[in-house]
Amino acid sequence: MTATLAPARPAADADRATFAALAARETRRFAVNPVFLFAVAMTVWVLSTDPGNVTEIDSVNWIPAVFLGGFGMMATFWLTRSMGASEPVVGVTPVTLPARTAALCVVAIVPFACGGLALLRFVQLIPVGDPAYGAFSPSARIAVLVGQIAVPSLGGPLLGVALGRWVRFPGAAFVLFLILFGWGNLVTALSISRPDSTPLVVLRLFAPFSFFTLRGNTAHLTTWRGSPWFFLGWQLALCAIAVLAALLRGAEGRARLRIVRALGVAGAVAVVMLVLAATGGFTHAVTA
Amino acid sequence: MVTASISLRGVGRTFGATRALAGVDLDLRPGVTGLLGPNGAGKTTLLRLLATALPPTRGQVRVLGLDPDVPAERTGIRRQLGYQPQEAGFPRGFTAFAFVDYIALLKEWTQPAARHAEVRRVLDLVGLSDLGAKRIRAMSGGQRRRVALAQALLGSPPVLVLDEPTTGVDPEQRVTLRTVLAEIARTSIVVLSTHQTEDVAALCERVIVLDRGRVCYDGPVTDLVSQAAGRVWLADQPDPAASASWRTGTGRYRNVGARVRNDAEHVEPSLEDAYLLLRGGSPEHEPAEEMTS
Repeated sequence: MTATLAPARPAADADRATFAALAARETRRFAVNPVFLFAVAMTVWVLSTDPGNVTEIDSVNWIPAVFLGGFGMMATFWLTRSMGASEPVVGVTPVTLPARTAALCVVAIVPFACGGLALLRFVQLIPVGDPAYGAFSPSARIAVLVGQIAVPSLGGPLLGVALGRWVRFPGAAFVLFLILFGWGNLVTALSISRPDSTPLVVLRLFAPFSFFTLRGNTAHLTTWRGSPWFFLGWQLALCAIAVLAALLRGAEGRARLRIVRALGVAGAVAVVMLVLAATGGFTHAVTA
Repeated sequence: MVTASISLRGVGRTFGATRALAGVDLDLRPGVTGLLGPNGAGKTTLLRLLATALPPTRGQVRVLGLDPDVPAERTGIRRQLGYQPQEAGFPRGFTAFAFVDYIALLKEWTQPAARHAEVRRVLDLVGLSDLGAKRIRAMSGGQRRRVALAQALLGSPPVLVLDEPTTGVDPEQRVTLRTVLAEIARTSIVVLSTHQTEDVAALCERVIVLDRGRVCYDGPVTDLVSQAAGRVWLADQPDPAASASWRTGTGRYRNVGARVRNDAEHVEPSLEDAYLLLRGGSPEHEPAEEMTS
């Protein structure tokens, strides 16, 4: 036997270094996930083509949300569940479950960065001054784009981590993706028929992604009710809820209490933001 | 110099209505302690308690003077712990090196060069140095168990808890692993459960026999074996007086029991004989508590 039995000892106070190294490791694992690579490829393909005569942004801007957000959610769900079989070993290491969860949440930076790049490319293809953005002010148009492209790219993967921590069913992320996709289509279809209905505005915005303009089959572009800025606040609150819900799994003592309190605050903020998003903006749909 | 130790006082663990452990008192110090017992005796539950994977429902556990009920102290224990569970699952697509490297990272080996050297060292210890790049899913059961053992050996921890480490491992590797564990046990507390009595006989200075969640023997292996002296004999037929008998390779029957005929052909008892005698339920079988040394 040539191996020695006298290794170097790791430093005991290595929490921060361990977290950084673990986050980097998980990020690398996520970056080569086939589902995520497919999502990136699809987004690049769609945004690299000539938009031609785009008359409304909503014909294009859902694609990064679906791929980077939706497929990103499935990829992080898989990543989170991937160590489940090894939990008897992984679970007795010095790195706690919430710390491992936090490292997985860091992974969402990758699709978020991709979403940011997609947003820049989108603005390059369709400048903010273009009539395709509807009746919104320039700043509101930026809010619409951030809320429809960048934030879903962050929120989807975070939701995938939370789902992975709490749900064992292997197809949970795909089912949730279908539910969210179906919900988005349903409330959009309802909003077309009654664009000024306040309950429908709330229902339309009660989602991680929402349209703010629609051309439909007419020659006119309709800008819907709702404040893009407060909708952004609602989305960010949902992101916070996803992170906190994920961190809650395995949290103990004071940390658990803090997370529960923070969840309460985030939930309250989300409700306020949703109400403000639904009541803000235009008082009625604007058709031009 | 403080000697590493583990102590359990009145430890019990239940799963619903099932009692897995009841009133277990133990003190463990550096050396190899073997855990024997039938299926469902509570061996895995006891090891999971020692590995901080499971809290007791009553009683007190102290590992290296730390209380696993206190989160910060539990982390302190885990920094000095190696644990090979009975059923170690592996993530899809991982090679042996990648898996052990991932666990090393979770064990706070943050410097890549030192970590990789340590991973190579433990893979070498378990005889997998040539298979580091092989996907775990493509490995045999014995090789997978060695991967699970390799991660437990990371950093030569002061406490090593192994649940059936040699199951499915070939004889040559078992001998190698005995050498490795004996070396580690010079300074570390090594607790292993197994159904292989020959591993316990060859490796452990102390054996604990569990039955229905209680300790029914705790003492030196030699003492347990000596209790079987004069109670093991060979015969041409299974002896009705024996509590256990089986046909050996020579065609004769090995009998183990408390009631021995005067004309019996006695043979040297093994640990397996002594274990069977302890478990045999012969009329002269002493109550468990009285047999505890």
